[in-house]
Amino acid sequence: MSKPRTWPAHVFLAAGALVMLAPFAWQLIVALQTLTDSLRVPPKFTPSWQWSNFVDVFRSVPLARQFVNTAVVTAAVTAGQLLLCSLAAFAFARLRFPLRGILFMAFLAVLMVPGELFLIPRYEIMQGLGWLNTLQALIAPGVFGAFGTFMLRQFFLSLPKELDEAAAIDGANPLQIYWHILLPLVRPGLLALGMLTVMWSWSSLLWPLVVNTDPEMMTLSAGLASLRGQFLTNYPILFAGSVVASLPVIVLFVVMQRQLIAGIAFTGSKG
Amino acid sequence: MRFRLPLALLAGSAVLIAGCGSSGETAASGKATISYAIWDKNDQASAEKIIAAFQQANPNVTVKLEITPWDQYWTKLQTAASGGSAPDVFWMNSLNVRMYAKGGIIAPVDESKAQGLPAAVVDGYRYDGKLYGLPHTVSIPALWYDKKLFDAAGVAYPTADWTWDDVKAAAKKLTDPSKEQFGILAHMWDQGAFYPTMIQAGGNVLSADGKKSGFDDPASIQGLEFWTSMIEEKVAPIAEVYADTDVITLFQSGKYGMFYGGAWLAATFWANPEVRDRIDVAPLPKGPAKEAVILLGLANAVSAKSEHPKESAAFAEFVASEPAQKILADAGGGALSLRDGTQEGWYKAFPSFHLKETYDASMPHGVPYPVSLNTAQWQDVQNKLLAEAWAGKRPVAEAAKEIATQMNEILAKE
Amino acid sequence: MHTRREWAWGYLLIAPMALGLAVFYLWPIVQTLFLSFTESGVFGGYTWVGTANFTDLSVDEEMYGALGNTLLYAVLVLAGVPLSIVVAALLNVPGLRGLSLYRTLYFLPVVTMPAAVGLTWSYLFNGDFGVINHLLGYLGIDGPYWLGDPDFAIYAIAVVGIWSSIGYNAVLFLAGLQGIPRHYYEAAEIDGAGRLRQFLRITLPLLTPTTFFVLVITMINALQVFDLVYLMVDPKSPSLEGSRTIVYLFYEKGFVQNQRGLAAAIAVVLLGIILALTAIQFRLQKKWVHYE
Repeated sequence: MSKPRTWPAHVFLAAGALVMLAPFAWQLIVALQTLTDSLRVPPKFTPSWQWSNFVDVFRSVPLARQFVNTAVVTAAVTAGQLLLCSLAAFAFARLRFPLRGILFMAFLAVLMVPGELFLIPRYEIMQGLGWLNTLQALIAPGVFGAFGTFMLRQFFLSLPKELDEAAAIDGANPLQIYWHILLPLVRPGLLALGMLTVMWSWSSLLWPLVVNTDPEMMTLSAGLASLRGQFLTNYPILFAGSVVASLPVIVLFVVMQRQLIAGIAFTGSKG
Repeated sequence: MRFRLPLALLAGSAVLIAGCGSSGETAASGKATISYAIWDKNDQASAEKIIAAFQQANPNVTVKLEITPWDQYWTKLQTAASGGSAPDVFWMNSLNVRMYAKGGIIAPVDESKAQGLPAAVVDGYRYDGKLYGLPHTVSIPALWYDKKLFDAAGVAYPTADWTWDDVKAAAKKLTDPSKEQFGILAHMWDQGAFYPTMIQAGGNVLSADGKKSGFDDPASIQGLEFWTSMIEEKVAPIAEVYADTDVITLFQSGKYGMFYGGAWLAATFWANPEVRDRIDVAPLPKGPAKEAVILLGLANAVSAKSEHPKESAAFAEFVASEPAQKILADAGGGALSLRDGTQEGWYKAFPSFHLKETYDASMPHGVPYPVSLNTAQWQDVQNKLLAEAWAGKRPVAEAAKEIATQMNEILAKE
Repeated sequence: MHTRREWAWGYLLIAPMALGLAVFYLWPIVQTLFLSFTESGVFGGYTWVGTANFTDLSVDEEMYGALGNTLLYAVLVLAGVPLSIVVAALLNVPGLRGLSLYRTLYFLPVVTMPAAVGLTWSYLFNGDFGVINHLLGYLGIDGPYWLGDPDFAIYAIAVVGIWSSIGYNAVLFLAGLQGIPRHYYEAAEIDGAGRLRQFLRITLPLLTPTTFFVLVITMINALQVFDLVYLMVDPKSPSLEGSRTIVYLFYEKGFVQNQRGLAAAIAVVLLGIILALTAIQFRLQKKWVHYE
């Protein structure tokens, strides 16, 4: 077989990569410009080292607090998803009980419905509980997910049945089998789901925007939106906020990209 | 509905229990905590100082400040009010006051405490013969200008005697297409730009009895054309520009000679060292018929369901009192105190801007902001149709007449 | 293991998730359906209004505007899907070095929060100070006020939508490509088929299941676009007319103007549209999707 040349592919891919990367570079540069420099025609392509933009943005919105909020919510949602989804997934994949099929279909039906349908009633539930402007209002709905259950079920299904049977003979109950034997084996699935959940939870806007209106209780996404409300088109300050808000997930992705990519590839193959 | 009912009951009884508990406490210890909701982060410092002063005079009352950004403020307030848990005292504007008064959410305030405050502002808070808010700030639209561009074009700076013709002449001279430089910004702004020019030309937005639209008055149309003609003559940028970049940002780019903007922008402009020294402010120019400046003031409203009505009213009254007004002015934030003679500190915070001259020339010609019961509804119509006129898709006169027709229908239903 | 005990364990382990889904997913669906037939009072309370919300929507200009904008956006974003196939095909070139570096770069927009992405691009698209119009200037094109003009805003937003999903879709396509057995290509090579011919005759047909999946997901996501519009277009801008989407309208009605009943009706309409369009796609797939 003839070895194809790879340089034409490189030319196209590099050009595309530039388009992907350029907005980020530009955002970083403008985050360090003065307002006047950001309004030059033709554009000024170098930073003016205006570090005070970062100070201003932390002073104008409780960005540090919002950062902590987002981290807490993301961590809690991810941990909750992994635990609850894997429990349910294990039961659906490895245990037999009446109505299992119907219940599983009911879980899947939820996936078909656009998220907007849940918003108003959820808001009213939170209002009734007195949970508006609290972190638990952001966490509670997030820890439940039909998608994660479905995804992990596929991983559990791929493990040989003999594992449980051997453990059951040794006297282990299902919870012990789940925790000691099967859970370690679906680690790749857990990592993939974990990465996806982190990504979604960190970025989500609509629900946090609606349910937490107090800046101290906002997440970064909603915080950026309210920053825009305050600074209008003062881009250097907006960009300083954007850089701070989006950096953690980008760093996490660079470190853990293999797991995230695996998770996404999974959604394609089994969906 | 099965779910909501028990919850509502629970919440209701919780409020009841809490209410009994805290009122009992008030009787015993005389201590009360009230909440105070505002939306402007820029006023946090002054609000905290005012609260401190109030607490010093009333050691039994603690005031808790809550700041909610404008974008979420009204939604949050409405939700809280539906649940019977509105803040004890909160910022109100003249656009919303009627709805809240009609809904029984806010309580009337003591008329006498508004004495000495300008009628143009106070009257905006009347509903059904009663006063529903004590105003404490005033927002004055003014003419900001870029001295550097005026100097370069050899045009004299605006003064309190300027007329429309002076604005147009200056705009022409300041425009330089080769530098993409424009004489003026013609953004579609009601309070500070097209409402005043409609009135200055002898027209009106809403008839005095609030029953008829003034948009089809030829004088009103002339006031609107003041703006669109400058866009047509290319001394002001086209409509899309303002939708793309905020006018406050645009003006700071140093390529626009004049800008009808709020005097409250002093704090924003002063904070930018690159524009601080090159700009200044003057009162709104006079129109062919008269002088008119639309004044808007913010007021503090008191919740009708407050558990501490006396303390809450006392706090709202204090914010509108002279000592508090001085504290507000001295803080040098965005907001300008309303009570005459308390503004010294504010002027001093921005020494090179001609704010005192602007204030002195504007206040005697103050006109209230036009409102009816469903203001938001007809403003929606107005904004949509005027946007077409500003974009040059429709003649102004035609759009204005259409606004009048639709607006009259809305007013008839009130 | 005793059957009964296994049953009990089964129910016990799915109980937390089932309860959560019931409270936060299933119950809200029922509730939203109910609310769509009510009108909410300014300060709380509901009144049953029958189908009034739906009849109001059926003559509402804003609703049709939003519907048109949303569908246009969806079509534009779907039209961008072939770009991802090209990227995936290039990444799949045998012996390509730096695959993981490319993959990282193409994936950056996916992991960046849409709020930040929206802000960044609104500056790039700025009519006066934006880089895009500056670059177009070199080509002799006087770029429009992308986000300030109702005729252009949705196109600009769609560009961002495509940009931020290329990496995601490319990963899916790459997985699909890697699942195509090599012997097909070997056979084609023996027959003397060129690379382009191989791509058209083997790759594309065998990739259709993935393509179908990507199109469905992309469409469903596109019909629910909100974040980008919310961050890229000022709420007071006249260009919102040309960029307001269904979910944006839902947000405005439900959480800015507090018309919860009407908002619920909008959500129900959205559900109907998504289900209908998905059903159509599933219908059509028989005509063009090749399953091995």
